[in-house]
Amino acid sequence: MEARPTPSLKEVCIFLTDYASWLLGCGATCIRIEKNVGRMAAAFQVCAEMTVMPTNIQMSVWDMNHQDSYSLVKRKQKTGISFNINTRMSKLSWDVADRKIDFAEAVSRMEEIKKTPPENKWAVLVLASLANMSFCRLFNGDLIAMAVVFVATMAGYRIKQILLEAKVDVRVVFVCSAFVSSVIGASGYLFNLGTTPDIAIGTSVLYLIPGIPYINSVSDMLDGHYICSFSRFIDALILTICLSIGLCGGMFLMGLKWLN
Amino acid sequence: MEMLLNIFQDGFFAAIAAIGFASISNPPKSAYLYCAFIAAVGHSMRYILMNNPFFDTHIIVASTIAAFVIGLLAVWVSPKAKCPAETCLFPALLPMIPGMYAYRTVGALILCLNHTAEEAFSHYFYLLNFNGFTCVFIIMGMVIGATIPIFIFKKTSFQATR
Repeated sequence: MEARPTPSLKEVCIFLTDYASWLLGCGATCIRIEKNVGRMAAAFQVCAEMTVMPTNIQMSVWDMNHQDSYSLVKRKQKTGISFNINTRMSKLSWDVADRKIDFAEAVSRMEEIKKTPPENKWAVLVLASLANMSFCRLFNGDLIAMAVVFVATMAGYRIKQILLEAKVDVRVVFVCSAFVSSVIGASGYLFNLGTTPDIAIGTSVLYLIPGIPYINSVSDMLDGHYICSFSRFIDALILTICLSIGLCGGMFLMGLKWLN
Repeated sequence: MEMLLNIFQDGFFAAIAAIGFASISNPPKSAYLYCAFIAAVGHSMRYILMNNPFFDTHIIVASTIAAFVIGLLAVWVSPKAKCPAETCLFPALLPMIPGMYAYRTVGALILCLNHTAEEAFSHYFYLLNFNGFTCVFIIMGMVIGATIPIFIFKKTSFQATR
């Protein structure tokens, strides 16, 4: 351990800032980012002070005697929410803290983790549709409503995938997906299928609700990161509003009245 | 007997919902089963609290208690699954999100805007507030109930990946 070359402050700072920006991007809570970074800084024998802002990470790394420092600001990494990256990054931080790996290996491992592929998109499509169908059942929808929701979710989610791959703005994507799902979800009303058409149309767009950002937002609030908490909340709220716009458009097109 | 069947059905569908919603946020493979298990226990617990012959629990209180149990389970399970507690916890919470209340809130808002007569407006304004409040407080209760165990057992929940 002692024989290893010690990394310079600059190298450590670049590594830690990059690490934190990835964790923030993959949807980790602020408390986790701080803890993971803190324990790695301790292992590299530096002091790391950081601010987690909604879209940036600001980091200062000091040597132990507070004689010399290096600072960086880095934008949040744009990667979708990924608990897989979150888990592997957290594991990396413990491996560093327990001195199982040195700095050079930590850097190369992080590059490895960055390449983590997302879940197979077809599997996600089917699983999300099944999930929304079950959701319909939990709200006491009947079998026909469940079938309608399954089809509505599958169509809407596929459109979300296609549009996101085409790099369309995420808010536009949410409006479009919600619109398609609600139009299909309305078929229960239009053709008098089943006894719970209202539950079918209400549930058909719920797969779009950004649940994880909402939960992260409250977690940050409990931890005192109010700015981050607020911005995550607004992010989630905007997406929810977009999905409502899509839903209203779909219902308007199908000539449905609310809450009969 | 029918009650028992309903409880199992509730848990079963909650588990499927948890797996599906988990898959959207790319969890590690090992987390799926734990998510499903925790979601099933949590959601059927809320079902029992709300639908038993002995005492009536309000949906907000029931959600908070069930979420607290989900939080405890997630903290307990996370070292076994070798992943952060949030990974098991957050997807397991999603089946409890009060979607129909949210939907009715949006509906009531539109109807509010569509009606100018005082009586009709008041009625829809009442529906807007009733559904909106219930929805917001369920989510608040749920999330606070579920996050408290992580903060209480900080050591366990943040050492899970060690």
